[in-house]
Amino acid sequence: MDTTRLEISRLFHRFGFGPKPGEFALALKQGVDATRTQLLLLVPPARDVGVSAVVDPVLADLGNFPQPGTPARATFDMAMKAQRQMLTLWWLDRMALVENALTERMTWFWHGHWATSIGKVEYSLPMYLQNQSLRTNALGDFGTQSRTMIMDGALQYWLDGGANTVTAPNENLAREFMELFTLGVDHYLQIDVQSVARGLTGYKVNRSNGNVTFIAKNHDSSTFNILGSPGTYNATQISDLVAARDDCTQFIVDRIWFRFISSDIPRPSSNAINTAFVGRNILKTVRAVATSDAMSDPQNSLVKSPVEWFIGLCRALEITPSKLSKPAQAIDFLNKLGQVPFSPPNVGGWPAGQAWLTAASAQYRLQLAQYLLAHADISTIKAVPSSSRVRAVGDLLGVASWSYRTERALHDVATDPTRILLLAASSPEYIVSA
Amino acid sequence: MDTLSRRNFLKLSGAAAVAAAAPMLTMEQIAQAATMRPLPPGTPILIVITLYGGNDGLNTVVPYKDPIYYQARPDISYSQTDLLPLDGELALNGSMTGIKSLWDQNKVAICRGVGYPDPDLSHFTSMAIWQSASPDHHVNSGWLGRWLDTQTRDPMLAISLGSILPPLLAGRTVAGSALPLGGIVVPTGSLALDCQRISAASKQDSTLMASAATSLRNLFDLSSNITPILKEPVPQPLDLPTENGGVAGGNSDLQQQLDVVAKLVTAGSPTRVWSVSLGGFDTHANEKGAQSILLGNVSSSVARFMSQMRASNREKDVVIMVYSEFGRRVKANASQGTDHGTSGPVFVIGDRIKGGFYGDQPSLNNLIGGDQAVTTDFRDIYASLIEGVLKSPADPIINNWKGRTPFFAKV
Repeated sequence: MDTTRLEISRLFHRFGFGPKPGEFALALKQGVDATRTQLLLLVPPARDVGVSAVVDPVLADLGNFPQPGTPARATFDMAMKAQRQMLTLWWLDRMALVENALTERMTWFWHGHWATSIGKVEYSLPMYLQNQSLRTNALGDFGTQSRTMIMDGALQYWLDGGANTVTAPNENLAREFMELFTLGVDHYLQIDVQSVARGLTGYKVNRSNGNVTFIAKNHDSSTFNILGSPGTYNATQISDLVAARDDCTQFIVDRIWFRFISSDIPRPSSNAINTAFVGRNILKTVRAVATSDAMSDPQNSLVKSPVEWFIGLCRALEITPSKLSKPAQAIDFLNKLGQVPFSPPNVGGWPAGQAWLTAASAQYRLQLAQYLLAHADISTIKAVPSSSRVRAVGDLLGVASWSYRTERALHDVATDPTRILLLAASSPEYIVSA
Repeated sequence: MDTLSRRNFLKLSGAAAVAAAAPMLTMEQIAQAATMRPLPPGTPILIVITLYGGNDGLNTVVPYKDPIYYQARPDISYSQTDLLPLDGELALNGSMTGIKSLWDQNKVAICRGVGYPDPDLSHFTSMAIWQSASPDHHVNSGWLGRWLDTQTRDPMLAISLGSILPPLLAGRTVAGSALPLGGIVVPTGSLALDCQRISAASKQDSTLMASAATSLRNLFDLSSNITPILKEPVPQPLDLPTENGGVAGGNSDLQQQLDVVAKLVTAGSPTRVWSVSLGGFDTHANEKGAQSILLGNVSSSVARFMSQMRASNREKDVVIMVYSEFGRRVKANASQGTDHGTSGPVFVIGDRIKGGFYGDQPSLNNLIGGDQAVTTDFRDIYASLIEGVLKSPADPIINNWKGRTPFFAKV
């Protein structure tokens, strides 16, 4: 195995969404260190030329649901549907076009972490605002991110926060906040869930625009213990207390390990990244992960999730998702593959690894790749003589190495540029980040 | 909660390497491989229905004479007139007329107070325990996946409806297959040959790449077997009256899944285990209407399926198990919903089943931290199903678990 090629491939696919044409070959010349430095550069989205080509969606506050069966409701339903498609394509476009993809990639990671579904929220505006919050806080201080998210309208609505009052608290947000967002299961007791739920009482959510307001009379202002600390608590105080725990250090690094290094092999007890998150600086942690020995260890392969695989192809083939002739069809394929942005299956986010490797998903991947290739400009591969196309396709897609099996299969179809690209995109070597 | 697999227990070991020298197939050979190997009549079949989100057992099998039930949840309790009494103490949710009718035919075992030791109120931990059947320590395999490990390898043996494989079907070395609604479209012509080539086993593959290759190869095995069958019409539930919509049934996702299962069972698919699911049971708010619609879907889909099985002469073969990762808190919350709880009822349904109650009803007088006690260990039910339906030894699969639930009818 060519370790340089492996590490550069991992840097592109895990800390971004795959290379654009020419980037991988150039990175190979520049070496691992220079590539890592460049890919982990923090470029404000406003200064990214790729992103500036994507127009932010204008999402009006659509207000309450009109009565069913009325003309107003029909108009409303159409507007809801249109907003949802606009929002989804906007984000897919950003992922596909961004030059320095780190911020977008981390926004994607955090979306799966604070997994909130438009399936329940329904309104696009609060989902969009949450997405912008995640982007703003994607690589900054985790404590700030946690404070922002516990008060986020979409998340509050998703986990019944707005319905949680002093007379009988609702534990949903309290439990998931500790279990899935900050501490991990078994690092708190049921009594802590009840206490956090009490501290989170009194917040009211305007569902259509995500505004969260505090209603003092619905809040439990008595003194109680959370994780052994007595006090009176509101959402911000709870977030600060919980996000500062040692268990949070371990948990967040585990989650980053799970999505960026391996979803099968547990994080080793001795590794430089274990202490990287102590100061809650996310960028520092991500850089430590990208620099660690784990990056060159061949056993740490990862299955690309459907969106990651799809966006990787869009970048290589220079496709803008919203400009496909029927963009809704691309979303439909992602839905069949089990992953549409803003629609995680549950509050735990999307699955990983083997779960994406079913015969059914193999079928949809093939169909989606065919659909994309029908819309792609493949002149760069056409321009390469067929004797060099196997290597060229590997560089275009940023594949670490071809197995003898795939190399032979690609070689034998190399005279047909579309066919070699279709097979390469559907190959085990591209579906899995080696 | 529609699907659930955040903790990924799925791990195929390098089993693909065994087939390293897999020959290249032509389309004619693939078609030949599609020759059906029908399941012999009389072979029992297990259908597992997973209710994701934590179904409120107390509003499913309701202790309708217990004043504590009414005190604990005044806004979301059911009065006797809205329920379907089963005996002097317990009644089914009023939406479950289909299952009530099967109960009246003595085909429904209701296992009460089912759970595992030291209940965990997390969806993820709890579902991981239910699907792996390992409450004490984390294992990377599902209980039915471990059964698959003991069988001759066949991608048709255990099938889950939907494109993502649930952890319960992932074994240590073999995994069940996933089948999306609407079936699979097999690539044809030169693309088929190309796909065969890039999915051939390779010693250079990592474990995950080998799985990716296997999944593409399985596409051909599965599709050649299944696609012709999916074009057949759905078997008609001959002895059920036509429904007039409402909460009784409708065209729920669960019904669609079970319709596909019914078609494939009718056609003689050599499949011993089917997995279907319904989400939406995480009713922290406004529970009453939502849960009643979901339970109505479950009930009418099950009744329809059993009726389809009668029409297909497989009614004596199928056994259905319905479970959820936990029940819910006895006391309602302020949002007309309930928070996560502990034990709940499990339904086991079929002609082979001796109807009635199994296990003690957890008393509302004796709650543990506001939750119901566990009176039946879920492994009792699994071990009984492995032996009674899959006709396999349960010990190696459920780690020498000794408990059983005697819900099979004497033959």
